[in-house]
Amino acid sequence: MARRAAIVGVGLTKCSSHRRDVIYPELVHEAVSAALADANLEAKDIDAVVYGSMDPFDGVFAPERWNVDACVGAGASNKPFMKITTGGTTGGSVALGGYYHVTSGLFDVVLVVASQRVGETLEAQLVLNTAIDPIYERWMGGGAIMVGANQASSHFHYYGTTEEDLAMVAAKNYANALNNPYAHLQRHLTVEDALKMRMISWPLRLSDCCPSSDGACAIILACEERARKITKTPAWVRGAGQITDNYYIGDRPWFQDWEALSILGRHVYKQAKIGNPLEELDVAELYNAFTIQEIIECEALGFCEPGKGTELLRKGVTSMDGKLPVNPSGGTLCTNPIGATGLVRIAEAALQVMGKADKRQVANAKTALAHVWGAAIGFHVLMILDKEAL
Amino acid sequence: MPKRVAIVGIGQTKHEESKGHCIYYESDFEAAKLALEDAALTRGDLDTVIASGWDAIDGRTISDMHTCMAIGGYLKDSSHVGEDGIMALAYAYLRIASGLFDIALVAGHGHREANIDAVTRVVFDPLFTRPAGRNYIITMAMQANAYMHKYGVSKEQAAKVVVKNRANGARNPYAHLNSPVTVEEVLASRPVAYPLKALDCPPESVGGVALILAAEDVVRRITDKPVWIRGIGWAIESYEMGSKDLAEIPSLTAAAQRAYKMAGIKRPLDEFDLAEIHEATSFHELMDYEALGFAEAGQGAKLIEEGATEMSGKLPVNPSGGSLCTNLFGASGLVRAAEAALQLRGDAHGRQVAGAKLALAHGLSAPAGAAAPTNCVAILERG
Repeated sequence: MARRAAIVGVGLTKCSSHRRDVIYPELVHEAVSAALADANLEAKDIDAVVYGSMDPFDGVFAPERWNVDACVGAGASNKPFMKITTGGTTGGSVALGGYYHVTSGLFDVVLVVASQRVGETLEAQLVLNTAIDPIYERWMGGGAIMVGANQASSHFHYYGTTEEDLAMVAAKNYANALNNPYAHLQRHLTVEDALKMRMISWPLRLSDCCPSSDGACAIILACEERARKITKTPAWVRGAGQITDNYYIGDRPWFQDWEALSILGRHVYKQAKIGNPLEELDVAELYNAFTIQEIIECEALGFCEPGKGTELLRKGVTSMDGKLPVNPSGGTLCTNPIGATGLVRIAEAALQVMGKADKRQVANAKTALAHVWGAAIGFHVLMILDKEAL
Repeated sequence: MPKRVAIVGIGQTKHEESKGHCIYYESDFEAAKLALEDAALTRGDLDTVIASGWDAIDGRTISDMHTCMAIGGYLKDSSHVGEDGIMALAYAYLRIASGLFDIALVAGHGHREANIDAVTRVVFDPLFTRPAGRNYIITMAMQANAYMHKYGVSKEQAAKVVVKNRANGARNPYAHLNSPVTVEEVLASRPVAYPLKALDCPPESVGGVALILAAEDVVRRITDKPVWIRGIGWAIESYEMGSKDLAEIPSLTAAAQRAYKMAGIKRPLDEFDLAEIHEATSFHELMDYEALGFAEAGQGAKLIEEGATEMSGKLPVNPSGGSLCTNLFGASGLVRAAEAALQLRGDAHGRQVAGAKLALAHGLSAPAGAAAPTNCVAILERG
């Protein structure tokens, strides 16, 4: 049994296409100071920092170095600091890094920061294309959108999912984002509107694809003794983990299901002692960079049988007033500062458990699940947070 | 209580100028395979893998998609530090110490897919400092210059570090540069950035290195020659070079103090049998002596003058030849840890320090050079 750890502070920034009002360290400082204020802590209370961003999307090298002073204050350098990058999962991977910093027993209070300024990149999809094997797969134009479109067309073929189902996912998330002051896209979208949007890569239309955002996020993790002193509402980590799938897109036998996520889900549910996720979880923040992924994630995570994700959606189970609201924040679909997006999922799940989610709060949320994917759908991170320690 | 963690497997490739048509993750693969063979384990025994390095240096984004798979990560819990491999060691240590993982493999590589001078230029502020041409080696030269002038250290004294390390490297079959040099040759070599000459600077080497770490409960099942990690510490510095005394390396002092406290080290010069340190340049080895507490501030050169850090000295430093002989940009620190572990197992052959029981391994993770370097110190003990 590892040492218990909890999230005791959360800081988010407003996200937009390009946060021209701040320079990079200022953006990071915005998130870090919000997290410190939330936990009522000062820079000197932080034992170590874990930092994540995906450099190539920032258009600079090693941006965490630029932001060292923004993280811990100019007087507090010479602290332990670790940079973690894993593509789209970066935000989830830094949260795991912070969790292991605390559970190891070496550190009591750890600041976890993730940031991205995609607005500094000429074209994010070109950057993503460099991740793909240069000889076998890059020429196909592989990247995030193509992979999402593969998932959608397979799901259509095998399970009869339609463009209207995707439009419903979009409308639900856009409506939720209107309650989230930190969301990038804040606009009304009806199913009819969504179906008229420009086609990006069949069957994904513009409203089926996430934006690219500038934004940062910070959380503070603490050991049990400190957590209980810092806050009355800690979000306890009950289960967490990562899984790594093959990197050759063409070597994955199917796209309609997400086998690696299912394997990780079973592992993390076991840690958290969750037998029936639909009954036992109160809210989920899933990484829905593309609408189809929210449907497949619900299936892979055992909220329903494979192929029944659309049924769950149409019955309103995953709506704000449903049995298991999914993405009260509007999800990745409405806000995507790439390397920070995963940490936003975890931060939003924590806010729900802490009862601090304001207009997007799910009433009486006790147990929350956060999910992150990255690396051409090859990596997943899951974290389960709870009002009660296990 | 954190679980005790030991190094139970070591693998490194021959480090060299080029590996022909091999891509970077093939070096990670080769090193990981050697480490698994060394520990007599298979991929199935690993609970987690941690890769390391920088996407911009590897020439593609999310480079760990490939490295994590190459080191056995398929369907396992993997992660990647955007740091020198020494920080992958630190991260794997945390994972195992927590009791949540039993066996971890960490790996790193140095490859020349990108121009390091050009890439490390993009780490600097585009308005104020980039036009001045700052990059990794320029910032290191600024530091060497400040140190030289503050304490009256001479170029000859720094050159003696090169002579010592190159002589050691000549006995290390894995080293990239295997030939000894003289003080005269160092001083006569091509100027790079004042006061650094070409031979004061490490080469750019191509190769891979991997270590396997295990929790105390499973160590004895794997090996009867474990190398225990008795202490570990790391720290970063401010990014603003103008706000620091460049003649000091406070992040290394902070890292060493953490590691010494954990391991109960009080008199490092007397207690360690050897040290493998990641010297950014010849001048930095002298600065590192001071930051690590082997010498008082400004007295580092005395150790090299006295021969205290030579193979036959009181505390041999860099029996492997150090990064002046082998420099994987992105894993040179992890190579230092691997070399220190080999010494403690008695497997260092021609470069073995007789009867080594306690060693210090130091790694530098510095994509921005002397601006915001991370220093990591691990204290290793023969089991």
